[in-house]
Amino acid sequence: MRALCEEAITAALAGGASYADARAIVRRSQLVSTKNRRVDQLDDVETEGIGVRVLVSGAWGFACEPRLDAEAARDAAGRATVFAKAAPGRHERALAPVERLQGEYRTPRVQDPIDVPLEEKKAFCLAAEETMQHADVKVTNASVRALREHRALVTSDGTSVEQDLVDCGAGIDAYASNGGVSQIRSYPSAHGGSSAGAGWEYVLGLGLAREGPRVAEQAAELLRAPLCPPGLTTVVIDAEQMALQVHESVGHPTELDRVYGTEAAYAGTSFLHPGDLGSLRYGSDAMNITADPTTPSGLGTFGYDDEGVPAERTPVVEAGVLRNFLSSRETAAKLELVGGSGGSMRADGWSRMPLVRMTNLHLEAGEGALDDLLADVDDGIYFETNKSWSIDDKRLNFQFGTQVAREINNGKLGRLLRDATYTGVTPVFWHSLDAVAGPASWVLYGLTNCGKGQPGQVAHVGHGAAPARFRNVQVGVAPS
Amino acid sequence: MTDALELAGEAVAGADGDAAEAVVQAEHSGFARFAGSEVHQPTLIENVTIFLRVIRGHRAGTAAGNRVDAEGLRDLARRAGEAADASAEDPDLVEPAGASVLPDVNGNDQETAALDAADQARLAAAAIEAAGDTPVYGFFTSGVSTVAVATSAGFGGEQTSTDATALALAATENASGYAEQTSWGVRHVEPAQVARDAVELAARTAGAGELTPGSYRAVLGPYALGELLQSFAEDAFSGLGLLEERSYLVGRLGERCFDEKVSIVDDALDPRGLPKSFDFEGVPKQPVQLVENGVLRGAVWDRATAARAEDSVRTTGNAPPPGARRWGPAPFALSVAGGEAESVEELVELVGDGIYVTRLHYLGMVEPRQGILTGMTRDGTFRIRDGKLAEPLVNLRFTVAVPDVLADVPGLTREATLTNQDAFYGERFPYGALVPALATARFDVTGLGGPPGI
Repeated sequence: MRALCEEAITAALAGGASYADARAIVRRSQLVSTKNRRVDQLDDVETEGIGVRVLVSGAWGFACEPRLDAEAARDAAGRATVFAKAAPGRHERALAPVERLQGEYRTPRVQDPIDVPLEEKKAFCLAAEETMQHADVKVTNASVRALREHRALVTSDGTSVEQDLVDCGAGIDAYASNGGVSQIRSYPSAHGGSSAGAGWEYVLGLGLAREGPRVAEQAAELLRAPLCPPGLTTVVIDAEQMALQVHESVGHPTELDRVYGTEAAYAGTSFLHPGDLGSLRYGSDAMNITADPTTPSGLGTFGYDDEGVPAERTPVVEAGVLRNFLSSRETAAKLELVGGSGGSMRADGWSRMPLVRMTNLHLEAGEGALDDLLADVDDGIYFETNKSWSIDDKRLNFQFGTQVAREINNGKLGRLLRDATYTGVTPVFWHSLDAVAGPASWVLYGLTNCGKGQPGQVAHVGHGAAPARFRNVQVGVAPS
Repeated sequence: MTDALELAGEAVAGADGDAAEAVVQAEHSGFARFAGSEVHQPTLIENVTIFLRVIRGHRAGTAAGNRVDAEGLRDLARRAGEAADASAEDPDLVEPAGASVLPDVNGNDQETAALDAADQARLAAAAIEAAGDTPVYGFFTSGVSTVAVATSAGFGGEQTSTDATALALAATENASGYAEQTSWGVRHVEPAQVARDAVELAARTAGAGELTPGSYRAVLGPYALGELLQSFAEDAFSGLGLLEERSYLVGRLGERCFDEKVSIVDDALDPRGLPKSFDFEGVPKQPVQLVENGVLRGAVWDRATAARAEDSVRTTGNAPPPGARRWGPAPFALSVAGGEAESVEELVELVGDGIYVTRLHYLGMVEPRQGILTGMTRDGTFRIRDGKLAEPLVNLRFTVAVPDVLADVPGLTREATLTNQDAFYGERFPYGALVPALATARFDVTGLGGPPGI
């Protein structure tokens, strides 16, 4: 595959490109989903192709071909070059320097998740579903997913790397419905479960069958729970919802392409400005955020990003102060970042240009346990497991709903509440953070549905988080 | 383009099972995405993907791939067979669709199909130049998409569609405006006009003020209404949503729940939209009445969900692309009947005191059973005072029950606009919603965001 990439690079340079990179990818993915104890979907997908990105007189061009042969590689390079030459604009681009690298990376794994027979995956789902049978539960669902990618990247700067990546995940949902009310409960997280950059052992370790009865019981219990009341109060948010809170209100705003406006028409921009680096108070002293594509088992873990930049752990927010953006070689050069981009450029397969993306973005642990966070709350709400999410184009005003909420009374969890929401404005919210639970409560989640770019791209990202406590938060948003 | 139907037929012929269904999606497209008035993400895509579903006894499994040579098809058949073997017995498994007469539709324009990379760059440049000194962000894209379905039960259908979209966000630090045009014929898309419309709107949004949260009368422009309805429809008008009791329609079919001025249909045959002849199971498209004069009439179905419903329910030809089949049937051609108003200004006058919303952002379903959605307004939100558009507003957070928005509708514009609803993820399958502007007596603002602009 590297030879094909080299063929493309040679063709691109011959066509007038000053820089080129080529990605050849073979991707195999599987999805097994069961619903109400029947197989709902059982798919096995394999695609391959090559994508070539070129820089001609400062203008980008990108083209792809679904064949892995020399002719396809040259064709893609040629078409990318033509597109770049035709692209309107000023086109004054520079790329931050990178070390020339030759290397390989392989996701550590005990058992390749693709090698696990589909039959076994189906049996795993059905067994998990079996544990969720309950009179009020109308729909039970279990799913597992697995992915293996062989990626080769060659750049005209002399980098040539090859990666053998796997990830997999699983999850269960119980939908209860009665008397005009419907409620959902999920484990280990909502929206398809959680995934990791690891082998099948990750799925086996999730304990879906163990958690199934609780999930079903809570879904049914929610039907009879009162609505979350509106008000301004102290909230404690579980690790799973914190993972999405970090994703939406720290991850996306710190993507430097958004800061420079290149996502403005679709995903949006950022309330941050380039000059905020090193000085902006993002949140309280308890707020520490780290980008780390080296995290063991992280869904955004790799050896090299899609510009050949090696994975590197980078502080993004330290004690509440903005310390770094997520960047590409282009945006890093624009901001004259010392040390380059840190490895945040990722492409969704061979048919898309790389974009600035989150890798693994973590809320670093604080001290104590969930009970310690609750102990200092006389009257508040505990939020658990995401249900809905929305945030504005500058990543300021957000509103989240969770599957479960509970009253907090005198330091203890109380009644279950349904349809709970909380809302805020990003920096105000993060300034109200006064405690994060410790390492024993820190959990690594993986999201497989992060969308960005036009045409659209989906990224797999990891987030580690622990439960956290925020003061004076608006809860219980509903139509008036 | 690849002969997609021939390929689908070869895949079915090579399948080893009791029945088989093949779907081929082929794409030839170009995307000239620009930001700050220069192209920064130009993407040319060529691909062909084959989805092969094999049934063995009462077990079904699907494999997909993009290797279309003989060896690739053999590998596809092997993997699909293994997937079927690995599946579980399903006594209610639905067999593939048989032969049928397909409706003739428009939607394949030779001029659009002939656009190449230089043309796509030129049309993006037209938008950039028309915006003058105002920075614009957006894209011009055009593509040729072919969908072919072949089944062992005798169905064989192929449709090649073209599409073109110009989209522009004109934005400065404290002002922004938005416009888009979508059509299956590029002659109906004027990138320069799109950019001028966006710039003109942006110029009116500087100096945006705040608004006290609460319930307001409102005019939703076509982009806003299209996005709101598409999000609502995913659960509300889905047969699967009905079966699983997530839909707002549960227990309400036949009831008048919306204003009598509201009629909604899913009509993939409408030449004003992005026409489709058949769905991804090979079922002919047909208009599906969802709401008639405010009365809830029905949902959309595919063969799999219709088989699980009561006896009178039949597929409406709304099977989604193979990779999304588990999410159930979906309305990909929503169309809202126009009203009596000749212009948006007339609706603004009807509202009298309220807000005008151009566009929405990042919608989230808070509670599907009641149709409660939250999201933000952006790129052109205004106060309405004394029946006129007044001062610009900051981006507003809304949390609305869509049925409340549609319950009291003072008016709709006569003309409908085709609004693009596709974010171009995965295999290209352009779709849109034909919607007028709509005045409502109730739109709940629950918070404030930042000012317009980037």
